[in-house]
Amino acid sequence: MLSRQLQRNILKVAAAPSVRLSLAKQAPRVVLFSLRTFSNTAQKQNASTVETLTPNSDSLGFETTAIEKPGRPIYLDMQATSPMDPRVLDAMLPYLTDLYGNPHSRTHQYGWETERAVEEAREQVAKLIGADPKEIIFTSGATEANNLSLKGVAHFYKGKKKHIITTQIEHKCVLESCRVLQEEGFDVTYLPVQPNGLIDIKQFEEAIRPDTSIVSIMSVNNEIGVIQPIEEIGKICRKNKVFFHTDAAQAVGKIPMDVNAMNIDLMSISGHKLYGPKGIGAIYVRRRPRVRLEAVQSGGGQERGIRSGTVPTPLVVGLGAACKIATEEMEYDDQRISRLSKRLIDGIQSKVEQVVRNGDDVHTYPGCVNLSFSYVEGESLLMALKEIALSSGSACTSASLEPSYVLRALGADDEMAHSSIRFGIGRFTTEAEIDYVINHVVGHVNKLRDMSPLWEMVQEGIDLKSIQWSQH
Amino acid sequence: MFFDLYRPYTVHFITPEGEKIDVKATEGDTMLDLAQRYDIELECACEGSLACSTCHVICEQEYYDKMEEPTDEENDMLDLAFGLTDTSRLGCQIAMNKDLDGLTVKMPSATRNMRVDGSKPTHH
Repeated sequence: MLSRQLQRNILKVAAAPSVRLSLAKQAPRVVLFSLRTFSNTAQKQNASTVETLTPNSDSLGFETTAIEKPGRPIYLDMQATSPMDPRVLDAMLPYLTDLYGNPHSRTHQYGWETERAVEEAREQVAKLIGADPKEIIFTSGATEANNLSLKGVAHFYKGKKKHIITTQIEHKCVLESCRVLQEEGFDVTYLPVQPNGLIDIKQFEEAIRPDTSIVSIMSVNNEIGVIQPIEEIGKICRKNKVFFHTDAAQAVGKIPMDVNAMNIDLMSISGHKLYGPKGIGAIYVRRRPRVRLEAVQSGGGQERGIRSGTVPTPLVVGLGAACKIATEEMEYDDQRISRLSKRLIDGIQSKVEQVVRNGDDVHTYPGCVNLSFSYVEGESLLMALKEIALSSGSACTSASLEPSYVLRALGADDEMAHSSIRFGIGRFTTEAEIDYVINHVVGHVNKLRDMSPLWEMVQEGIDLKSIQWSQH
Repeated sequence: MFFDLYRPYTVHFITPEGEKIDVKATEGDTMLDLAQRYDIELECACEGSLACSTCHVICEQEYYDKMEEPTDEENDMLDLAFGLTDTSRLGCQIAMNKDLDGLTVKMPSATRNMRVDGSKPTHH
């Protein structure tokens, strides 16, 4: 805890207009935070500066004073995680305090009220994807949902079917699950993608075999934002009596998803990718035609016996609230994010040459913009753009200096893969932030290129591929 | 049993220990009815009201394909069954008819009604 004297000093400094102005100038944006000081009469008489800031007194006798603080970076990494919508937090709070019952307790009010909340959340999730609430199973996130879908189906039907189809650009948890299943004796086909990131439907159809048990293809890619032709894939799977799983962590709440129209049998959902809390997700498991899973986790048989363990009511309520908001506001969000996305791409491409957008221009989620800046090292650009939170790949692999396996699958060479940056635009991104990002990206790209001998050679018309580089 | 003379169908039960028990059945008998009639240790926690998964049995594929599709309610209960397979059914929902004559049903090694002390359930 801060001492009273120190708190008072902080408030005095923050109250000075000149200081506040200089702080605002230094930082890319100003973030408000609350400082709480205990309120009593003696303190009020001594601390006149507190009076000038007109604090609000709360029921505990604390005074909440908003003061300005040098800003944190602008957040443009929405594919890694999204900030929680304040309305989601509002929905969760009662279940973090007064309503703490176990939703599986059937003999008293504490259990009944939380069970009711869990079932309402189940309905909210189901409504967003056009499912029946009974088909929604809560998990700890999309990673668990992906593991459960792939391993669950593969193990259950292993007596008859031993083949799995996925793509080369799936999320790590899908690829890792497939690798584990391969070691267990399953046969896995990793479909390549075209240079625009989309799978070749004809090639996919040819890959299906009589012993194919499950196809797993993500809806929206987390690195390049490309949207796969889910409806077509679903039709083909249904025709061939093969289960179709889609990792929709980056799609649900952002683009319309309908499990029946798209013939989806299993779908993974993540809470923190749609402005909900972390640590919660869901899996949609079709009831008709029935999809059977072998449970990965043993226990008391909660969640249709598929995912045992006490359901975390506050998190589930948060996921439900996030889905409800998405159902109501998806169209508005999409229009707004599309506008900001266009502003960002046009702004950068009009001022910087040799910038390539990775993925497809049409079949793409606008909130995920992956750009390669030729002759600029992506990591260097990230380091230079300290005042913007960006990524050069997925959050799971951004610590490794390996070029993105997704961009490699698109046919990009190592140099282009290494020069890529992902911009994630979301519900709370502003136009001012986009303009700030454009200016800084343009400035730093030009600066880094000015330092690059390769860029100089290209400007002079030298074909870099024709050069015989000496080995060190 | 004397009345077996009037029971035209045969059903083979295979216990968790691998013992084979042959019983006679009439039209409409469920596997649960047969288990209770012949004192076979097939559990029945909900007394056949489709509210538990303890009478779970595993059928042969050939006979499974001849049975009517399980209802959503039965499937929901099967989700909770121990050792579920893709030819699993609830014993209380399999009614005998001439197509199922000669049916073999295997009883799983355990049920959701957890007993680890070796005690056996008794019929109500």
